[in-house]
Amino acid sequence: MSHFSYRKEGQTVELSADYVVVGSGAGGAAAAVKLARNGASVIVVEAGPWRDPKDYPTTSYGALRDLMDDWSSTVTRGRAIWPVVQAKTVGGTTVINSAICVRTPADIFEQWKREHDFGGEALAERVWAIQDRIEEDLSVSIVSTGALGHHNNIATAADQKLGYQGHLIKRYAKGCVGSGQCLQGCRDLKKQSTNVTYIPEVVRLGGTVLSCAPVRKVTFQGNRATGVEGTFRHPRTRKKGDAFFVQARKTVIIAASVTHTPVLLRRSGIKNRSLGEYFRAHPGSGVFGCYDDPVDMNTGATQAWASTRFRDTPGTKLETLSLPLEMVASRLAGGGQMLMGRLQEYRHFAHWIHACRANTPGRITTGFNGKPVVHYTLDKADMIRFRAGIQLVSKLHFSAGAKAIIPGIYGMPYKLSRDQLHLLDDAPLDPRAYVAVLSHLFGGCVMGGDPKRSVCDPQGRVRDRESLVVADASVLPTNLGVNPQHTIMALAMLRAEELLDAA
Amino acid sequence: MSWFVLFAAKAMMPTSETLPGVSEMGIRTFVKTFLSETNWLTWLGVMGASILFMISPLITIGLPLPACLLTQKALDRHATKAATHRIYLFRQMIFLVKMVAGFCWGAHPTIRARFAMSPYTGDPGTWRFQ
Repeated sequence: MSHFSYRKEGQTVELSADYVVVGSGAGGAAAAVKLARNGASVIVVEAGPWRDPKDYPTTSYGALRDLMDDWSSTVTRGRAIWPVVQAKTVGGTTVINSAICVRTPADIFEQWKREHDFGGEALAERVWAIQDRIEEDLSVSIVSTGALGHHNNIATAADQKLGYQGHLIKRYAKGCVGSGQCLQGCRDLKKQSTNVTYIPEVVRLGGTVLSCAPVRKVTFQGNRATGVEGTFRHPRTRKKGDAFFVQARKTVIIAASVTHTPVLLRRSGIKNRSLGEYFRAHPGSGVFGCYDDPVDMNTGATQAWASTRFRDTPGTKLETLSLPLEMVASRLAGGGQMLMGRLQEYRHFAHWIHACRANTPGRITTGFNGKPVVHYTLDKADMIRFRAGIQLVSKLHFSAGAKAIIPGIYGMPYKLSRDQLHLLDDAPLDPRAYVAVLSHLFGGCVMGGDPKRSVCDPQGRVRDRESLVVADASVLPTNLGVNPQHTIMALAMLRAEELLDAA
Repeated sequence: MSWFVLFAAKAMMPTSETLPGVSEMGIRTFVKTFLSETNWLTWLGVMGASILFMISPLITIGLPLPACLLTQKALDRHATKAATHRIYLFRQMIFLVKMVAGFCWGAHPTIRARFAMSPYTGDPGTWRFQ
């Protein structure tokens, strides 16, 4: 049998393979497929259910219920309450993101070398070579003109006037038709998320997948990781099913996500001062532009334009991002008749975002219910960056012909005209004034050369343990400043290559 | 208990001169489904927010009455003030009510048609068993 889903037959499911991979998102799937392609036996253990495109929800409510991690109820604990966006399904967050593919920037490898005693040119060359192959595997292409939609077109035109040096985004997508449903999973089967690419390939190559199977802990014999154990959970009722134990003859690879990996390792008895530390993210927020003519942002690719010109200074990435009407209803300020009046304008809105390359470190701890808790509050320097991102997006809207913008900042006017743009210079630096989300996450089990400041060594191996490797974004010791999926996948494949070489 | 959520959602997204409100979009069934499907933390948040909405007119518009006894005009003022309240946790909780109302309202075929969008084809809620 190649797939075990939720079951309650009163029998423990016991399996074994050379490699057990916990998590089936960007990291887990990439590591698993590399191992399987080289003839290794692999079992992938995923906490969420396996949903094919025909199973995907179409509404935002359905996405929250069926695809997000625990109804997206993980929020930052700090000055502001900002949701942490992660999926829990076979394919992980690759199912619900916009499939944006960005190569690891060269300066990141230099920074790792300088600050964390690994990386440098040699690693860069290896990672980029793997990224070349991934791009072929997953049909990476630039969004076609026909799939852009008006909201991406006007961003592109405005960028040319302002000189933001933006570009149409390269995505893991094959023949995107611009259905605007990236966030709910692509029912048109265009997005090359790992649940429709690498994971089925692992199964075709003889691998096994356990879905609806949250891992309770990694098991050890002495210091050597021997497998994982847990209990199947019904995805809807959350009722417990049969227990499972999956033995790893060679290595256990953890790719459970930035929030879950530190918690799982802690639950498994790993003691390390750096565990859960050095968490970083791209907190982002959006600005609506209000246009005279309908924009109909619900048509066209969800995200197709981006600018990385400001990645270093002030430290932000700009992107288009269409929001479904039901999300806009809660995003706009006000209630009652005032809110209904504001919603009337929906067709005339374009929603563009900035993702702040924040340096403030956060921390992942374990909550009373065993779930991850994200402690995170941006410091003043990052809030200045954050505010600068909003200013840049606002200028882009006006350059595109918006008659007003809705910055969504508490304490400021609901709408600002071009003449009022200067008011953003004094926008508050209190995170509570902003509606933001944390989309790209890094750290928590960082790798590095210094044992005092890292959980894993530069090969992703958990220190003081054998046969236990981490292969998700939790190993990334710095904020990339770009979408991390490509880096996560390449590093995970590299980890798999190293394991195969060692074997 | 779902009555509190229903009341708060209707107050947050009432029928206006130009748009039908959430009460015409099957909110009763939606709230029932939502409360039965969601996790306990979200359930607690939404329920707490709805009760807060009911008991807070005194701190939003200075009227010592539960929200259900307010006139339509006062209720509307309460909804606006609650959603933009200066206390961060207060307005964040009210955000949860808006979220529930918005999910129901914005996904309804009537509303989508108003905004020139084709209807959603539904959320099958299925997954691979084998």
